[in-house]
Amino acid sequence: MTVSLAFGALISLICGLDRVAILQIMISRPIVAAPLTALALGEPLVGLQIGVMVELLWLARLPVGAAVPPDDTQVAIASSVLAIVLGETLNASGMELLLLCLLIAIPLGKVGQYFDHIARQYNVRLIKQVDSALDRGSLLGAEFQHLRGLTSFSLASVGTYAIIVLGGLSIVPFLWPLLQQSLSHSSAWIQLALPLVGIAVILGTINVSRAITLFCASFGMSFLLMWLV
Amino acid sequence: MMTISWRTRLYIWFRLLLLQASWNFERLQGIGFFYSLLPGLRKLYRDEKLIEVSRKYVGYFNTHVYLAPMVAGAVLKLEEDQASGIADPVLKIDDFKEMVAAPYAAIGDALFWGGLRPLAAGITLFLAIKGILWAPLIFVLTYNLVPTVFRTVFFVRGYRQGMESVEWIQKHRLPDWAIHTKETAIVILGGLSAFMVFSHLNQQQLPGWLGLFTLLPMVLLGLVARKGLSTLLLVFITVASIFLIGLFWADMVFLIAS
Repeated sequence: MTVSLAFGALISLICGLDRVAILQIMISRPIVAAPLTALALGEPLVGLQIGVMVELLWLARLPVGAAVPPDDTQVAIASSVLAIVLGETLNASGMELLLLCLLIAIPLGKVGQYFDHIARQYNVRLIKQVDSALDRGSLLGAEFQHLRGLTSFSLASVGTYAIIVLGGLSIVPFLWPLLQQSLSHSSAWIQLALPLVGIAVILGTINVSRAITLFCASFGMSFLLMWLV
Repeated sequence: MMTISWRTRLYIWFRLLLLQASWNFERLQGIGFFYSLLPGLRKLYRDEKLIEVSRKYVGYFNTHVYLAPMVAGAVLKLEEDQASGIADPVLKIDDFKEMVAAPYAAIGDALFWGGLRPLAAGITLFLAIKGILWAPLIFVLTYNLVPTVFRTVFFVRGYRQGMESVEWIQKHRLPDWAIHTKETAIVILGGLSAFMVFSHLNQQQLPGWLGLFTLLPMVLLGLVARKGLSTLLLVFITVASIFLIGLFWADMVFLIAS
Protein backbone atom coordinates (compact mmCIF):
# COMPACT_ATOMS: atom_id res chain seq x y z
CA MET A 1 0.00 0.00 0.00
CA THR A 2 2.74 2.48 0.95
CA VAL A 3 4.60 1.75 -2.30
CA SER A 4 1.41 2.33 -4.33
CA LEU A 5 0.76 5.63 -2.54
CA ALA A 6 4.38 6.70 -3.11
CA PHE A 7 4.16 5.86 -6.83
CA GLY A 8 0.97 7.89 -7.00
CA ALA A 9 2.68 10.83 -5.28
CA LEU A 10 5.56 10.72 -7.76
CA ILE A 11 3.19 10.74 -10.75
CA SER A 12 1.11 13.49 -9.13
CA LEU A 13 4.28 15.59 -8.82
CA ILE A 14 5.36 15.09 -12.45
CA CYS A 15 1.88 15.57 -13.92
CA GLY A 16 1.16 18.45 -11.54
CA LEU A 17 4.21 20.32 -12.84
CA ASP A 18 3.17 19.71 -16.45
CA ARG A 19 -0.18 21.30 -15.64
CA VAL A 20 1.19 24.85 -15.19
CA ALA A 21 4.89 25.15 -14.46
CA ILE A 22 6.74 23.17 -17.13
CA LEU A 23 6.28 21.64 -20.61
CA GLN A 24 2.47 21.68 -20.92
CA ILE A 25 2.58 18.56 -23.07
CA MET A 26 -0.73 17.49 -21.53
CA ILE A 27 0.43 14.45 -19.57
CA SER A 28 -1.54 16.23 -16.84
CA ARG A 29 -4.86 15.59 -18.61
CA PRO A 30 -6.93 12.97 -16.72
CA ILE A 31 -7.09 10.72 -19.80
CA VAL A 32 -3.28 10.43 -19.63
CA ALA A 33 -2.53 10.86 -15.92
CA ALA A 34 -5.06 8.31 -14.62
CA PRO A 35 -4.04 5.42 -16.94
CA LEU A 36 -0.36 6.27 -16.33
CA THR A 37 -0.90 5.97 -12.56
CA ALA A 38 -2.95 2.80 -12.88
CA LEU A 39 -0.35 1.31 -15.24
CA ALA A 40 2.34 1.94 -12.62
CA LEU A 41 0.15 0.15 -10.08
CA GLY A 42 -0.54 -2.76 -12.45
CA GLU A 43 -4.18 -2.10 -13.41
CA PRO A 44 -4.22 0.22 -16.44
CA LEU A 45 -7.88 -0.43 -17.29
CA VAL A 46 -9.01 1.14 -13.99
CA GLY A 47 -7.14 4.33 -14.90
CA LEU A 48 -8.56 4.34 -18.40
CA GLN A 49 -12.12 4.13 -17.04
CA ILE A 50 -11.45 6.96 -14.57
CA GLY A 51 -9.73 9.02 -17.28
CA VAL A 52 -12.79 8.73 -19.55
CA MET A 53 -15.10 9.91 -16.76
CA VAL A 54 -12.97 12.84 -15.55
CA GLU A 55 -11.40 14.10 -18.80
CA LEU A 56 -14.36 16.12 -20.04
CA LEU A 57 -15.74 17.33 -16.70
CA TRP A 58 -13.69 20.53 -16.38
CA LEU A 59 -12.35 20.77 -19.92
CA ALA A 60 -14.53 23.83 -20.44
CA ARG A 61 -12.74 25.68 -17.59
CA LEU A 62 -9.90 27.31 -19.49
CA PRO A 63 -6.67 28.34 -17.70
CA VAL A 64 -6.98 31.86 -19.14
CA GLY A 65 -4.89 34.66 -17.60
CA ALA A 66 -5.08 34.46 -13.81
CA ALA A 67 -8.00 31.97 -13.76
CA VAL A 68 -7.27 28.75 -11.85
CA PRO A 69 -9.40 25.78 -12.96
CA PRO A 70 -10.18 22.85 -10.59
CA ASP A 71 -7.34 20.33 -10.32
CA ASP A 72 -8.70 17.47 -12.43
CA THR A 73 -5.17 16.02 -12.70
CA GLN A 74 -4.97 15.19 -8.99
CA VAL A 75 -8.60 14.03 -8.92
CA ALA A 76 -7.81 11.53 -11.69
CA ILE A 77 -4.52 10.33 -10.17
CA ALA A 78 -5.77 10.09 -6.58
CA SER A 79 -9.02 8.31 -7.50
CA SER A 80 -7.04 5.77 -9.56
CA VAL A 81 -4.76 5.11 -6.58
CA LEU A 82 -7.74 4.89 -4.22
CA ALA A 83 -9.66 2.48 -6.47
CA ILE A 84 -6.67 0.15 -6.81
CA VAL A 85 -5.45 0.30 -3.19
CA LEU A 86 -8.92 0.02 -1.66
CA GLY A 87 -9.83 -2.72 -4.14
CA GLU A 88 -7.07 -4.82 -2.56
CA THR A 89 -7.81 -3.77 1.03
CA LEU A 90 -11.60 -4.22 0.85
CA ASN A 91 -11.28 -7.21 -1.46
CA ALA A 92 -13.65 -5.49 -3.89
CA SER A 93 -13.63 -4.71 -7.57
CA GLY A 94 -15.90 -3.36 -10.28
CA MET A 95 -17.38 -0.06 -11.30
CA GLU A 96 -19.12 0.58 -7.95
CA LEU A 97 -15.90 0.99 -5.95
CA LEU A 98 -14.32 2.98 -8.73
CA LEU A 99 -17.28 5.36 -8.81
CA LEU A 100 -17.35 5.75 -5.04
CA CYS A 101 -13.64 6.66 -5.01
CA LEU A 102 -14.17 9.13 -7.85
CA LEU A 103 -17.25 10.74 -6.27
CA ILE A 104 -15.29 11.26 -3.04
CA ALA A 105 -12.27 12.59 -4.95
CA ILE A 106 -14.22 15.11 -7.06
CA PRO A 107 -15.28 17.49 -4.22
CA LEU A 108 -11.95 16.99 -2.40
CA GLY A 109 -10.27 18.10 -5.64
CA LYS A 110 -11.57 21.61 -4.91
CA VAL A 111 -8.64 21.81 -2.48
CA GLY A 112 -6.35 21.69 -5.52
CA GLN A 113 -7.74 24.96 -6.80
CA TYR A 114 -7.05 26.54 -3.39
CA PHE A 115 -3.51 25.12 -3.18
CA ASP A 116 -2.74 26.22 -6.74
CA HIS A 117 -3.91 29.71 -5.78
CA ILE A 118 -1.63 29.71 -2.73
CA ALA A 119 1.35 28.52 -4.85
CA ARG A 120 0.85 31.38 -7.30
CA GLN A 121 0.42 33.83 -4.43
CA TYR A 122 3.57 32.50 -2.74
CA ASN A 123 5.52 32.97 -5.97
CA VAL A 124 4.85 36.72 -5.71
CA ARG A 125 7.56 36.71 -2.99
CA LEU A 126 10.08 35.58 -5.60
CA ILE A 127 9.70 38.90 -7.43
CA LYS A 128 11.30 40.79 -4.55
CA GLN A 129 14.15 38.30 -4.42
CA VAL A 130 14.70 38.47 -8.19
CA ASP A 131 14.80 42.26 -7.97
CA SER A 132 17.28 42.21 -5.10
CA ALA A 133 19.43 39.60 -6.91
CA LEU A 134 19.57 41.96 -9.90
CA ASP A 135 20.44 44.86 -7.59
CA ARG A 136 23.39 42.80 -6.36
CA GLY A 137 24.29 42.09 -9.98
CA SER A 138 23.67 38.37 -9.51
CA LEU A 139 21.98 37.00 -12.62
CA LEU A 140 22.53 33.46 -11.39
CA GLY A 141 20.63 34.34 -8.21
CA ALA A 142 17.73 35.71 -10.28
CA GLU A 143 17.66 32.56 -12.41
CA PHE A 144 17.62 30.43 -9.28
CA GLN A 145 14.61 32.31 -7.90
CA HIS A 146 12.68 31.46 -11.07
CA LEU A 147 13.39 27.76 -10.60
CA ARG A 148 12.38 28.03 -6.93
CA GLY A 149 8.86 28.61 -8.16
CA LEU A 150 8.73 24.93 -9.09
CA THR A 151 8.79 24.07 -5.37
CA SER A 152 5.47 25.80 -4.68
CA PHE A 153 3.77 24.13 -7.66
CA SER A 154 5.21 20.75 -6.61
CA LEU A 155 3.95 21.18 -3.04
CA ALA A 156 0.52 22.25 -4.29
CA SER A 157 0.24 19.14 -6.48
CA VAL A 158 1.45 16.64 -3.92
CA GLY A 159 -0.56 18.38 -1.17
CA THR A 160 -3.77 18.07 -3.20
CA TYR A 161 -2.99 14.43 -3.97
CA ALA A 162 -2.33 13.72 -0.26
CA ILE A 163 -5.58 15.34 0.87
CA ILE A 164 -7.68 13.46 -1.70
CA VAL A 165 -5.97 10.13 -0.92
CA LEU A 166 -6.16 10.58 2.86
CA GLY A 167 -9.77 11.72 2.62
CA GLY A 168 -10.63 8.78 0.39
CA LEU A 169 -8.84 6.27 2.61
CA SER A 170 -10.82 7.42 5.63
CA ILE A 171 -14.24 7.91 3.97
CA VAL A 172 -14.53 5.13 1.35
CA PRO A 173 -14.04 2.10 3.69
CA PHE A 174 -16.79 3.54 5.90
CA LEU A 175 -19.23 4.20 3.04
CA TRP A 176 -18.47 1.10 0.96
CA PRO A 177 -20.54 -1.45 2.98
CA LEU A 178 -23.46 1.02 3.08
CA LEU A 179 -23.47 1.94 -0.61
CA GLN A 180 -22.08 -1.11 -2.40
CA GLN A 181 -25.48 -2.71 -3.05
CA SER A 182 -27.32 0.54 -3.80
CA LEU A 183 -24.67 1.73 -6.26
CA SER A 184 -24.90 -1.51 -8.23
CA HIS A 185 -28.37 -0.43 -9.51
CA SER A 186 -27.09 2.77 -11.05
CA SER A 187 -23.30 2.45 -11.56
CA ALA A 188 -23.48 1.82 -15.32
CA TRP A 189 -25.72 4.86 -15.82
CA ILE A 190 -23.52 7.10 -13.67
CA GLN A 191 -20.50 5.93 -15.67
CA LEU A 192 -22.29 7.10 -18.82
CA ALA A 193 -23.58 10.32 -17.26
CA LEU A 194 -20.25 11.76 -16.06
CA PRO A 195 -18.67 12.30 -19.51
CA LEU A 196 -22.02 13.46 -20.88
CA VAL A 197 -22.24 16.15 -18.17
CA GLY A 198 -18.74 17.26 -19.19
CA ILE A 199 -19.77 17.46 -22.84
CA ALA A 200 -22.93 19.39 -21.90
CA VAL A 201 -20.84 21.93 -19.95
CA ILE A 202 -18.48 22.33 -22.93
CA LEU A 203 -21.50 22.78 -25.18
CA GLY A 204 -22.94 25.44 -22.89
CA THR A 205 -19.73 27.41 -22.44
CA ILE A 206 -17.89 27.08 -25.77
CA ASN A 207 -17.80 30.36 -27.63
CA VAL A 208 -19.23 29.21 -30.97
CA SER A 209 -22.44 30.44 -32.55
CA ARG A 210 -24.91 27.62 -33.31
CA ALA A 211 -22.98 25.21 -31.05
CA ILE A 212 -26.18 23.45 -29.95
CA THR A 213 -27.38 23.07 -33.56
CA LEU A 214 -24.04 21.61 -34.62
CA PHE A 215 -23.97 19.26 -31.65
CA CYS A 216 -27.57 18.02 -32.15
CA ALA A 217 -26.98 17.48 -35.87
CA SER A 218 -23.80 15.51 -35.21
CA PHE A 219 -25.40 13.50 -32.40
CA GLY A 220 -28.51 12.74 -34.45
CA MET A 221 -26.62 11.74 -37.60
CA SER A 222 -24.15 9.51 -35.73
CA PHE A 223 -26.90 7.93 -33.69
CA LEU A 224 -29.09 7.19 -36.68
CA LEU A 225 -26.14 5.75 -38.60
CA MET A 226 -25.23 3.42 -35.71
CA TRP A 227 -28.85 2.46 -35.18
CA LEU A 228 -29.58 1.73 -38.84
CA VAL A 229 -26.30 0.07 -39.86
CA MET B 1 26.76 42.90 -36.52
CA MET B 2 26.20 40.87 -33.30
CA THR B 3 24.29 37.63 -33.80
CA ILE B 4 22.98 34.99 -31.45
CA SER B 5 24.20 31.54 -32.44
CA TRP B 6 21.78 28.68 -33.15
CA ARG B 7 23.07 26.90 -30.04
CA THR B 8 22.05 29.81 -27.83
CA ARG B 9 18.67 30.02 -29.57
CA LEU B 10 18.14 26.31 -29.00
CA TYR B 11 19.02 26.82 -25.34
CA ILE B 12 16.48 29.66 -25.15
CA TRP B 13 13.87 27.43 -26.80
CA PHE B 14 14.41 24.78 -24.13
CA ARG B 15 14.21 27.39 -21.39
CA LEU B 16 10.86 28.51 -22.77
CA LEU B 17 9.52 25.10 -21.70
CA LEU B 18 10.01 26.39 -18.12
CA LEU B 19 8.35 29.74 -18.84
CA GLN B 20 5.71 29.38 -16.13
CA ALA B 21 7.88 27.85 -13.37
CA SER B 22 7.53 30.99 -11.24
CA TRP B 23 4.05 32.04 -12.45
CA ASN B 24 2.60 34.51 -9.96
CA PHE B 25 -0.38 36.84 -9.64
CA GLU B 26 1.67 40.02 -9.88
CA ARG B 27 3.89 39.62 -12.93
CA LEU B 28 2.47 36.34 -14.28
CA GLN B 29 5.13 34.98 -16.71
CA GLY B 30 7.47 37.97 -16.26
CA ILE B 31 10.33 36.23 -14.43
CA GLY B 32 10.03 33.22 -16.74
CA PHE B 33 10.36 35.41 -19.82
CA PHE B 34 13.52 36.97 -18.39
CA TYR B 35 14.85 33.49 -17.49
CA SER B 36 14.24 32.25 -21.03
CA LEU B 37 15.86 35.20 -22.80
CA LEU B 38 18.86 35.47 -20.48
CA PRO B 39 21.27 33.25 -22.50
CA GLY B 40 20.66 35.50 -25.53
CA LEU B 41 20.99 38.71 -23.55
CA ARG B 42 24.32 37.45 -22.13
CA LYS B 43 25.65 37.18 -25.67
CA LEU B 44 24.61 40.72 -26.52
CA TYR B 45 25.42 42.70 -23.39
CA ARG B 46 27.97 42.78 -20.60
CA ASP B 47 28.16 43.95 -16.98
CA GLU B 48 25.94 46.91 -16.05
CA LYS B 49 24.23 47.04 -19.41
CA LEU B 50 23.24 43.36 -19.09
CA ILE B 51 21.71 43.99 -15.65
CA GLU B 52 19.90 47.07 -16.95
CA VAL B 53 18.40 45.15 -19.90
CA SER B 54 17.54 42.19 -17.64
CA ARG B 55 15.53 44.47 -15.32
CA LYS B 56 13.39 45.39 -18.29
CA TYR B 57 12.33 41.76 -18.75
CA VAL B 58 11.44 40.75 -15.19
CA GLY B 59 8.35 42.99 -15.34
CA TYR B 60 4.79 41.95 -16.15
CA PHE B 61 4.41 39.61 -19.08
CA ASN B 62 1.64 37.25 -20.05
CA THR B 63 0.83 35.47 -23.26
CA HIS B 64 -0.17 31.99 -24.36
CA VAL B 65 2.52 29.48 -23.47
CA TYR B 66 2.66 28.05 -27.03
CA LEU B 67 2.93 31.50 -28.63
CA ALA B 68 5.49 32.85 -26.16
CA PRO B 69 8.36 31.44 -28.31
CA MET B 70 7.25 33.70 -31.16
CA VAL B 71 7.35 36.78 -28.91
CA ALA B 72 10.71 35.62 -27.52
CA GLY B 73 12.13 35.09 -31.01
CA ALA B 74 11.01 38.51 -32.19
CA VAL B 75 12.27 40.24 -29.02
CA LEU B 76 15.65 38.53 -29.40
CA LYS B 77 15.90 39.81 -32.94
CA LEU B 78 15.05 43.34 -31.82
CA GLU B 79 17.60 43.17 -28.99
CA GLU B 80 20.19 41.90 -31.44
CA ASP B 81 19.52 44.82 -33.78
CA GLN B 82 19.63 47.26 -30.91
CA ALA B 83 22.92 45.88 -29.59
CA SER B 84 24.35 46.32 -33.08
CA GLY B 85 23.12 49.91 -33.08
CA ILE B 86 20.83 49.52 -36.08
CA ALA B 87 17.50 49.58 -34.31
CA ASP B 88 15.03 51.76 -32.50
CA PRO B 89 15.40 52.87 -28.86
CA VAL B 90 14.59 50.55 -25.93
CA LEU B 91 10.99 51.72 -25.61
CA LYS B 92 10.01 50.15 -28.88
CA ILE B 93 10.92 46.62 -27.80
CA ASP B 94 8.82 47.02 -24.66
CA ASP B 95 5.97 48.45 -26.70
CA PHE B 96 6.18 45.56 -29.11
CA LYS B 97 6.19 43.00 -26.27
CA GLU B 98 3.15 44.60 -24.67
CA MET B 99 1.39 45.07 -27.98
CA VAL B 100 1.55 41.41 -29.05
CA ALA B 101 1.30 39.55 -25.71
CA ALA B 102 -2.43 40.04 -25.08
CA PRO B 103 -3.69 39.32 -28.65
CA TYR B 104 -1.41 36.25 -28.89
CA ALA B 105 -2.78 35.06 -25.53
CA ALA B 106 -6.34 35.43 -26.79
CA ILE B 107 -5.55 33.58 -30.03
CA GLY B 108 -3.74 30.78 -28.17
CA ASP B 109 -6.46 30.37 -25.54
CA ALA B 110 -9.16 30.06 -28.19
CA LEU B 111 -7.15 27.82 -30.52
CA PHE B 112 -5.48 25.47 -28.04
CA TRP B 113 -7.48 25.45 -24.81
CA GLY B 114 -10.87 26.12 -26.39
CA GLY B 115 -10.50 24.17 -29.64
CA LEU B 116 -7.65 21.71 -29.98
CA ARG B 117 -7.85 20.25 -26.47
CA PRO B 118 -11.55 19.26 -26.62
CA LEU B 119 -10.99 18.01 -30.18
CA ALA B 120 -8.06 15.75 -29.22
CA ALA B 121 -9.89 14.61 -26.07
CA GLY B 122 -13.00 13.73 -28.11
CA ILE B 123 -11.01 11.65 -30.60
CA THR B 124 -9.09 9.89 -27.81
CA LEU B 125 -12.21 9.05 -25.81
CA PHE B 126 -13.60 7.10 -28.79
CA LEU B 127 -10.57 4.82 -28.47
CA ALA B 128 -10.52 4.79 -24.66
CA ILE B 129 -14.18 3.73 -24.45
CA LYS B 130 -13.33 0.78 -26.70
CA GLY B 131 -10.76 -0.17 -24.04
CA ILE B 132 -7.72 0.58 -26.20
CA LEU B 133 -4.90 1.07 -23.70
CA TRP B 134 -2.83 3.07 -26.19
CA ALA B 135 -5.46 5.83 -26.25
CA PRO B 136 -3.58 8.13 -23.79
CA LEU B 137 -0.42 7.88 -25.86
CA ILE B 138 -2.41 8.72 -28.99
CA PHE B 139 -3.81 11.76 -27.15
CA VAL B 140 -0.35 13.00 -26.22
CA LEU B 141 0.97 12.48 -29.77
CA THR B 142 -1.97 13.97 -31.67
CA TYR B 143 -2.43 16.91 -29.32
CA ASN B 144 1.24 17.87 -29.22
CA LEU B 145 1.68 17.88 -32.98
CA VAL B 146 0.31 21.40 -33.45
CA PRO B 147 1.79 23.01 -30.29
CA THR B 148 5.24 21.64 -31.16
CA VAL B 149 5.01 23.19 -34.63
CA PHE B 150 3.92 26.48 -33.06
CA ARG B 151 6.68 26.39 -30.47
CA THR B 152 9.44 25.70 -33.01
CA VAL B 153 8.38 27.23 -36.33
CA PHE B 154 6.97 30.36 -34.70
CA PHE B 155 10.13 30.83 -32.63
CA VAL B 156 12.24 30.62 -35.78
CA ARG B 157 9.85 32.98 -37.61
CA GLY B 158 9.85 35.42 -34.73
CA TYR B 159 13.64 35.54 -34.68
CA ARG B 160 13.88 35.81 -38.45
CA GLN B 161 11.27 38.52 -38.91
CA GLY B 162 11.29 40.50 -35.66
CA MET B 163 8.35 42.93 -35.58
CA GLU B 164 7.21 41.77 -39.00
CA SER B 165 6.29 38.40 -37.51
CA VAL B 166 3.00 40.03 -36.46
CA GLU B 167 2.05 40.37 -40.14
CA TRP B 168 2.91 36.71 -40.66
CA ILE B 169 0.53 35.74 -37.85
CA GLN B 170 -2.18 37.98 -39.30
CA LYS B 171 -1.71 36.42 -42.74
CA HIS B 172 -2.37 32.95 -41.33
CA ARG B 173 -5.73 34.00 -39.84
CA LEU B 174 -5.33 32.04 -36.61
CA PRO B 175 -8.56 33.37 -35.01
CA ASP B 176 -10.49 31.81 -37.92
CA TRP B 177 -8.65 28.52 -37.35
CA ALA B 178 -9.65 28.68 -33.69
CA ILE B 179 -13.33 28.90 -34.64
CA HIS B 180 -13.02 26.04 -37.16
CA THR B 181 -11.26 23.88 -34.56
CA LYS B 182 -13.98 24.57 -31.98
CA GLU B 183 -16.70 23.70 -34.50
CA THR B 184 -14.94 20.44 -35.36
CA ALA B 185 -14.60 19.68 -31.65
CA ILE B 186 -18.37 20.11 -31.19
CA VAL B 187 -19.08 17.77 -34.11
CA ILE B 188 -16.68 15.16 -32.68
CA LEU B 189 -18.20 15.49 -29.20
CA GLY B 190 -21.67 15.05 -30.73
CA GLY B 191 -20.53 11.83 -32.40
CA LEU B 192 -18.81 10.70 -29.19
CA SER B 193 -21.96 11.27 -27.12
CA ALA B 194 -24.04 9.30 -29.63
CA PHE B 195 -21.48 6.49 -29.60
CA MET B 196 -21.41 6.31 -25.78
CA VAL B 197 -25.20 6.34 -25.47
CA PHE B 198 -25.70 3.78 -28.26
CA SER B 199 -23.07 1.39 -26.82
CA HIS B 200 -24.58 1.73 -23.35
CA LEU B 201 -28.12 0.98 -24.52
CA ASN B 202 -26.83 -2.05 -26.41
CA GLN B 203 -25.10 -3.32 -23.24
CA GLN B 204 -28.28 -2.80 -21.21
CA GLN B 205 -30.30 -4.52 -23.97
CA LEU B 206 -32.61 -1.53 -24.31
CA PRO B 207 -34.12 -0.25 -27.58
CA GLY B 208 -31.70 2.01 -29.47
CA TRP B 209 -34.21 4.79 -30.27
CA LEU B 210 -34.38 5.67 -26.56
CA GLY B 211 -30.94 7.23 -26.96
CA LEU B 212 -32.34 10.14 -28.95
CA PHE B 213 -33.96 11.37 -25.71
CA THR B 214 -30.47 11.98 -24.30
CA LEU B 215 -30.27 15.18 -26.34
CA LEU B 216 -32.87 16.98 -24.22
CA PRO B 217 -31.16 16.66 -20.80
CA MET B 218 -27.77 17.37 -22.39
CA VAL B 219 -28.96 20.59 -24.02
CA LEU B 220 -30.69 21.57 -20.76
CA LEU B 221 -27.52 20.92 -18.76
CA GLY B 222 -25.56 22.95 -21.32
CA LEU B 223 -27.95 25.88 -20.97
CA VAL B 224 -27.78 25.67 -17.17
CA ALA B 225 -23.96 25.60 -17.35
CA ARG B 226 -24.10 28.69 -19.57
CA LYS B 227 -26.05 30.44 -16.80
CA GLY B 228 -23.07 29.84 -14.52
CA LEU B 229 -24.00 26.76 -12.47
CA SER B 230 -20.79 24.97 -11.45
CA THR B 231 -19.77 21.63 -12.97
CA LEU B 232 -19.41 20.19 -9.46
CA LEU B 233 -23.03 20.97 -8.67
CA LEU B 234 -24.21 19.60 -12.02
CA VAL B 235 -22.27 16.38 -11.40
CA PHE B 236 -23.81 15.89 -7.97
CA ILE B 237 -27.35 16.72 -9.09
CA THR B 238 -27.01 14.25 -11.99
CA VAL B 239 -25.39 11.49 -9.91
CA ALA B 240 -27.89 11.90 -7.04
CA SER B 241 -30.83 11.79 -9.49
CA ILE B 242 -29.54 8.64 -11.21
CA PHE B 243 -28.76 7.02 -7.85
CA LEU B 244 -32.26 7.69 -6.49
CA ILE B 245 -33.96 6.58 -9.73
CA GLY B 246 -31.83 3.40 -9.61
CA LEU B 247 -32.98 2.66 -6.05
CA PHE B 248 -36.60 3.38 -6.92
CA TRP B 249 -36.39 1.17 -10.02
CA ALA B 250 -34.82 -1.70 -8.04
CA ASP B 251 -37.59 -1.45 -5.42
CA MET B 252 -40.27 -1.45 -8.11
CA VAL B 253 -38.77 -4.52 -9.78
CA PHE B 254 -38.59 -6.26 -6.38
CA LEU B 255 -42.23 -5.39 -5.58
CA ILE B 256 -43.49 -6.57 -8.96
CA ALA B 257 -41.47 -9.81 -8.70
CA SER B 258 -42.78 -10.55 -5.19
